[in-house]
Amino acid sequence: MIRFEHLVVRYARAPRPAVDDVSFAAPRGRVTAVVGPNGSGKSTLVRALLRMQPIERGRILVDDAPLDALDRRAFARRVSVVPQREALVFAMPAREYVALGRYPHEGAWRGAGAEDDDAVSRAIERAGVAALADRSTDELSGGEWQRVRIARALAQGGGAIVLDEPTTFLDIAHEMAMFELFAGLARAGMAVLLVSHQLNLVARFADEIVLLHRGRVAAAGAPSDVMRAAILEPVYDWPLVITRDPAVGAPALLPLRGRTR
Amino acid sequence: MRRTAFWIGGLVVLAALIVAAVAWGTVPLAPRDVALAVLGRGDADTVAIVRALRLPRVMLALLVGAGLGMSGAALQGSLRNALAEPYLLGVSGGAAVGAVVAVAAGVTATGLLPLFAFAGAALAVGAALLVGRAAGGRADPRVLLMAGVIIGAFANAAIMVALAGAPPNTVRGALWWMMGSVSGADWSQVAWLAGYTAVAAAALIWFARDIDILALGEEPAAGLGIDVERAGRRIYLVSSLLAAATVAAAGLVGFVGLVVPHLVRGAGVRRHRPLLAGAALAGGALVVLADLLARVAHPPAELPLGAVTAIVGVPFFLVQLRRLS
Amino acid sequence: MLSRIATFVLLSLALGCGEPRAAATVGGGGVRDDFGAPVAGGTTRTPARIVSLIPGATELLFAIGAGPRVVGRTEWDVWPDSARLVPDVGPGLRPNVEAVLARHPDLVVLYASDDDRPAAARLRAAGVRVIALRIDRIEDFRRAALLLGAATGELARARLTADTVARALARVRAATAGLPRPRVFWHVWDAPVITIGRGSFLDELLDVAGGRNVYADAASPSPTTSIEDIIRRDPDVILAGPVGAARIRASAAWRAVGAVRRGRVLVVDTNLVGRPSVRMGEAAASIARLIHPGALP
Repeated sequence: MIRFEHLVVRYARAPRPAVDDVSFAAPRGRVTAVVGPNGSGKSTLVRALLRMQPIERGRILVDDAPLDALDRRAFARRVSVVPQREALVFAMPAREYVALGRYPHEGAWRGAGAEDDDAVSRAIERAGVAALADRSTDELSGGEWQRVRIARALAQGGGAIVLDEPTTFLDIAHEMAMFELFAGLARAGMAVLLVSHQLNLVARFADEIVLLHRGRVAAAGAPSDVMRAAILEPVYDWPLVITRDPAVGAPALLPLRGRTR
Repeated sequence: MRRTAFWIGGLVVLAALIVAAVAWGTVPLAPRDVALAVLGRGDADTVAIVRALRLPRVMLALLVGAGLGMSGAALQGSLRNALAEPYLLGVSGGAAVGAVVAVAAGVTATGLLPLFAFAGAALAVGAALLVGRAAGGRADPRVLLMAGVIIGAFANAAIMVALAGAPPNTVRGALWWMMGSVSGADWSQVAWLAGYTAVAAAALIWFARDIDILALGEEPAAGLGIDVERAGRRIYLVSSLLAAATVAAAGLVGFVGLVVPHLVRGAGVRRHRPLLAGAALAGGALVVLADLLARVAHPPAELPLGAVTAIVGVPFFLVQLRRLS
Repeated sequence: MLSRIATFVLLSLALGCGEPRAAATVGGGGVRDDFGAPVAGGTTRTPARIVSLIPGATELLFAIGAGPRVVGRTEWDVWPDSARLVPDVGPGLRPNVEAVLARHPDLVVLYASDDDRPAAARLRAAGVRVIALRIDRIEDFRRAALLLGAATGELARARLTADTVARALARVRAATAGLPRPRVFWHVWDAPVITIGRGSFLDELLDVAGGRNVYADAASPSPTTSIEDIIRRDPDVILAGPVGAARIRASAAWRAVGAVRRGRVLVVDTNLVGRPSVRMGEAAASIARLIHPGALP
């Protein structure tokens, strides 16, 4: 669904690219997670997808169509992007906020139709925020706001959803609920592309992990292939041990105490 | 239903204010005489007062208020800042420099001063955009706001220099202009501003959905399919130039662009299409009211319009502030 | 930020005009100027280098024969023509003390407003005689003339000048005495609309010329008003300077005033009538000719 082909993105006046020859795909029906230490280029990938950062070389394809051939609204109708942070200056009821997700479908004068209302209601259901629909956005807790944002992304109606660090400020319960939701969306046929540093949860829920290091793909594959000490330690520059979590059997990472110097 | 009632109520209040503003003034006139004079009948002096003095200035006040209200609403949404308003972005400073330059250069033809003011405002807006771009923040509203503040500060310094050595009459003329007034209004001015405002208003309402999305943030907006930089710049330019036109017509009428959007939002209007319309309505009503008060508070002298809008606006703003916290 | 400038400049303007006058007296015991400071009489040396910071005083000094002794004037003093040859030392209000001292004066005449007190003090500290005068109204003129005459040793010519001017004014008053007085609105400024009130020089001059100021009841010498109020007072004639008259004629708002519609906007020479001066008689006559055509030759 979303494919990155030899993507190179460089910030102005930077000595080396932030994203350096990255290639991978996020297909439908699967959860693809991009992980890596700070500064590895994860967020730059999202910015490039949003066309907020010019691409130096390579390309991004959405359903086999090159990104620059798609006009912005067409892109937004196919791919929903949930950025890392979002704080509204002016509050509104959650339902109204979710309805803004229909913007890519609206014409200049066409108001919201029945189809739009249906899409909004469905999105609210799928994200599990029906109880919050009439609450004001400034009254929501961190976890609730996150789910409402995902509802808005779902209202866009596309086949892919891209989430940049979606669980950063959430507690365990909310984190788990979030990942369950992502898995559910993938099962329903969406392409879910996650950028996250929550390695353990990613290992449990993702179908494919792409490990970035200094802008390059250090490893890519199923969690059991990528979650190995030999692969992760040099990237994260920290002593780790990989074990199996007792609940599901997914690989789990345990950071060790610091090296003695 | 509540919504329709709200709009009808607003229009009724505006109509009442307009009637009051035409019926009241320094010279007491009987309502019947006023009504006849509007139609052009009656004593020549009364007709002159109503048709040549009061009606044009009330209409100008209405247009100035509507323009400033819409400009403020559009800027607060697109710059994601509840304290944004056109004057903050260099419009008022630039216009004032233009006007002071005109007064100091001895430009006395009444039609030319507004052109100088508009040119000054337009230059300031352009300069703010350039400064913003040079500072590297393509679409960052904070950079744009700071650029506007810087340009405004520079403009103030230029005004002080221009007025420092100027003769008293120049200073007085410049100050009076800066304090805002619709007292010199005539029908050709009203026609110009009406046409201009209509075009700008249509453009802003066309962009209203974009403002809804821009208000979410740069990345969310990009994710929803907006070219954030272009859309933001378009709205910024239209709003600033609309405000510049109001300044050219009536001098500095402060506070309206800041307060009116908050008032309308406080009444529960959130989406920018109705918000812009509401801001036009409320802004027009506010300035018409302020002009009426300016005329009747201390006859026969008139208070500066900019002072009255601030005095009238502050209590509204305080109420709104309390509601927020 | 703009409001701060506005307040600052407004305050300065307000301070510059309209404070209580300290009456000066001539003759008798101590002679005092309009700051209340004593003016030394004939015991001191007659000043040989005079800087005049008031246009009215410059004119007077030339009129009483002390012209050759004037070595500095303000940028606004352009009458008589010979005054133009005198070096310009800058503004009259809040003068540039250094520029004044650079002319090595032994007498400086400046405007008696609180704004000028610091300058007066600095000049006195530098050893220069200072006379502070207000020449705002007709009666100030004679007093100023005699004071300057005494200070420069030209008292006789000063008396003569004052008498000549007084007689010229009296002639104008007599010529228009029996005529019906037209109601006059005097346009000083139109943004805001400023006119002349009771106690202003122009009000007095208009009275001499046989006109009645529609704002004679206004307590302030420079009252602000609005066009509507002018309509209410219904003047027969509007007097304005050339710029003001052009603005009035070009403005749709001013056409609401009957006098404007009837074409009764008359232009005065603002340089001539602006303030009390040795040409006051001529000034009054010029106004009388406008509002009473044919009454004077």
